[in-house]
Amino acid sequence: MSGRLVDNVLRLVGLVAIGTIICFLLTPIVVTAIMAFDSRGYLGPLPPPSLSLRWFQRFFSDDYFLRGLGVSAQLALLSVTISVCVGVATAFAVERMSFAGKEALISLFLSPLVVPPVVTGFALLLFLSHLGIIDGFTRLLCGHIIITAPYTIRATLTGLAGIDRSLTEAALILGATERKAFWDVTFPLARTSIVSGAIFAFAVSMDDVAVSIMLTDAKTYTLPVALISSMRANFDLSIAAASVMLMTLTAILILILEKSVSLNRVIGQGVFRS
Amino acid sequence: MKPGRGSLLLLSPAGAVFLGFFFLPMAGLFIESFRIYVPGSIGSKADAPFTLANYGELLTPSFAGFFFETLRISLLASLVGLLFAFPLAYWITRSLAARWQPIVIGLFVTLMFLSVLVRTYALELTFGAVGPLRPLLVEIGISPNSRGYIETLVIAGLLHYIVPMATLTLLGTIQNVDPRLFDAAQALGAPRWKAHLGVTLPLCMRGLLAAFLFAFTFSISAFVIPMILGKGRVLFISNLIYTRFSEIANYPSGAAISIVLFVVAIAIVYGMSHLVNKRWKT
Amino acid sequence: MLHLTRRQILERTAAIAGIAILGGTLGSARRAAAATEITAVEWGGGVVDAMKQIESKQEKVQVNWVLHQGGSGAILPKIKATWPNAEYDYVAGWEGSFTGMLKEDWLVPVTVDTVPNLADIPEKIIVKSAKGEWMAVPRAVGGIYFAYREDISPIKLKSIDDLFDPSLKGKICWPGPTQSMMLQIVALALHAGGDENNMDPGWALMKKLAETGNIGRIAVTDTDFTTSLTSGETALGFYSEPQLTSVAQSFPLVRLTKQEGLPTFLYQSGFAVFKNRPNLEATLQFINHCISPEMSTIYAEIAGEAPLNVKAKTPDALKHLAFTPEEFDKYVYVPDFNVVLTQQDAWTKRWENEIAPLL
Repeated sequence: MSGRLVDNVLRLVGLVAIGTIICFLLTPIVVTAIMAFDSRGYLGPLPPPSLSLRWFQRFFSDDYFLRGLGVSAQLALLSVTISVCVGVATAFAVERMSFAGKEALISLFLSPLVVPPVVTGFALLLFLSHLGIIDGFTRLLCGHIIITAPYTIRATLTGLAGIDRSLTEAALILGATERKAFWDVTFPLARTSIVSGAIFAFAVSMDDVAVSIMLTDAKTYTLPVALISSMRANFDLSIAAASVMLMTLTAILILILEKSVSLNRVIGQGVFRS
Repeated sequence: MKPGRGSLLLLSPAGAVFLGFFFLPMAGLFIESFRIYVPGSIGSKADAPFTLANYGELLTPSFAGFFFETLRISLLASLVGLLFAFPLAYWITRSLAARWQPIVIGLFVTLMFLSVLVRTYALELTFGAVGPLRPLLVEIGISPNSRGYIETLVIAGLLHYIVPMATLTLLGTIQNVDPRLFDAAQALGAPRWKAHLGVTLPLCMRGLLAAFLFAFTFSISAFVIPMILGKGRVLFISNLIYTRFSEIANYPSGAAISIVLFVVAIAIVYGMSHLVNKRWKT
Repeated sequence: MLHLTRRQILERTAAIAGIAILGGTLGSARRAAAATEITAVEWGGGVVDAMKQIESKQEKVQVNWVLHQGGSGAILPKIKATWPNAEYDYVAGWEGSFTGMLKEDWLVPVTVDTVPNLADIPEKIIVKSAKGEWMAVPRAVGGIYFAYREDISPIKLKSIDDLFDPSLKGKICWPGPTQSMMLQIVALALHAGGDENNMDPGWALMKKLAETGNIGRIAVTDTDFTTSLTSGETALGFYSEPQLTSVAQSFPLVRLTKQEGLPTFLYQSGFAVFKNRPNLEATLQFINHCISPEMSTIYAEIAGEAPLNVKAKTPDALKHLAFTPEEFDKYVYVPDFNVVLTQQDAWTKRWENEIAPLL
């Protein structure tokens, strides 16, 4: 009987914890939305005395921000595409191995994550300059690829790790080629993880400041860098407005995906649908 | 099974990318860390002999203190993050109706696109010294200005990243765990909590390790979160490095600290992976 | 209601996204063909606004404005990495960045012949090379000093000793190691009988201050300070002009530039002209235009730093920076900047070792 009691208590504690954490996660979204409509020209304590659209107007009227947005979007799409391809290929190759150095290899591929972005950017700046690569977009692309690749590799590895090897083996026994077994069995099962890796990578690329600051040049810069640059003395709330718009865009995209393709199919449900 | 030709071919794009965009640059940084910095100039002196001075300067108790702080807070944040993320991921996968799943997942994904700078300032405004919570905190006797509270806030800021990402990572792991194993354990008489401890958790170990390592590596290299929520008093290693790369322009010293951080962090990551994989062979 | 198939929805979404991306990259104003184009690095906010207005009042030069990204030091590694290829015709800076650029031998010397309006700028403030050449063109001066928000400060700050007042628990916003050239420690040293050459008394006092728990925040970037004061987290501090002006715009700020017992420091903001660029003459001409009396006044009004051209008018809002010679001797302390700037690294390390753990 005590097992049941412990169960119920733990269940209650679990639900309270989940509720708390979800509230905690939602709070900054709400606060950011409030900040984006704050009429004050500075960051002051909540609640704001009045609301205004000034930050949104400022964002759209300034060519500087819009150009940054264009570069950020291109950079994100390009670097994520490359990262996902590299990540899936790498994870698949590593997962199949079982030689002694496998863990060391995985640690190596995840190592960019332990280095503060400012260091990655700085090191890359020095190195690329030695090679004579001084074009801003190229430098930024290199930087964004290296900071997103560990996410795609790690996410895919996690996905592949959970897949029962016997499923793939069954496919092979039934006559499928390696490639067919991969695309028809392994890949769909790992799809949740691959997609989540791609999403992480995209978010990381769009939000990155530290690496990008080191790699921009006179003509090319990203949106987060542009937003930071406008803050010399004052915290420019345009960044809150930009965040609100980006989140709204993401939410709309997800809604569209859900209605048209059904999110569950994109994200995948694993082997055991509940 | 030794890596075959096919595997090596698959690894070549990553090899090229990592070598060219990371390891060679880091090697360059390694070399930079042995150069001499002349105060007042920018970066290292070009043709001077090499020196160990930049590393020598780090052999102080205060620097060890900074390192210890960073690692301690990161560890705490990662463990707490997992403690929240695992039940959350489980709840989403198993208990939540199929209708709601995309909404909750969509929420997490949307959250990821909230800029780190804004998010951190939002947390500061809500929970910080001037937030609406201040009267409550003072009532309880917690000074919002105390170091303990600042550390807690830094951890909260880190959690705000760790929990969504760990949850999304664990979703895939839990999805691929056969629920019938859990049912079987219950059928054999185990209460739910024992069934979880004995069946679900071990099967998710590799996913949990991945989530933990993500959380930990994210935390130790965090920069904006400790900078704003730490009020300049709780300093992470990345803040020390930034000081040297900004107006002080002492690049060799910054490079030295970066290399030390890199070596220590990689050792921890590798050590943990090794331990967990040895203990929980799936 | 249109009946859209899934494919159509996806196609249209992609098309709109594509247009948004392209629009972002292509959208920029047409440039006048006749003007020479130069590339300049300026600070964002009020400074670049002022400079754009100044640019509009002449036609010979068109400027591609690049903004400092996160402090004036962020651009230095980029310049060093591509040297001797230079991407910028001039970089706006202050003493903190000029000396470094000078040591690296990146700058073109300026003279009264190439920049005539330099004749109206006080010669003492001009940054000089070891050979005595003038290496940067100053345009404005700002202060680094103590200030407090009258509405929320527990006390009226009058001397360094007041900083130790117990009612100030957590109320002080102190600049971090990279922010005010460590002049805050120099200020403490002066109070304790030392100066920039003898800093030990200052460090001793700093330790005591750290131990009181009065310091709420250490400002690590420019906006840290402003936000800390505007949000009410802290009520007083020591910082530089642009941030203090920002706070003063919305709150009653008492600026202690003329308070005996609390030293005031001055820094210059100006132009560093780079070598290896094709349009040196046009750049020098533009800079000369910027430091004319009229343009200096415009700059002062919008960017909030007092003009250096003796013929320019100082706006009322900057009265706190206008000193008579007696006031200057009494309240302003001019350290040996050579000492200050070469000691930055050592002082920063001392801060990290001795003070930071106490906070």
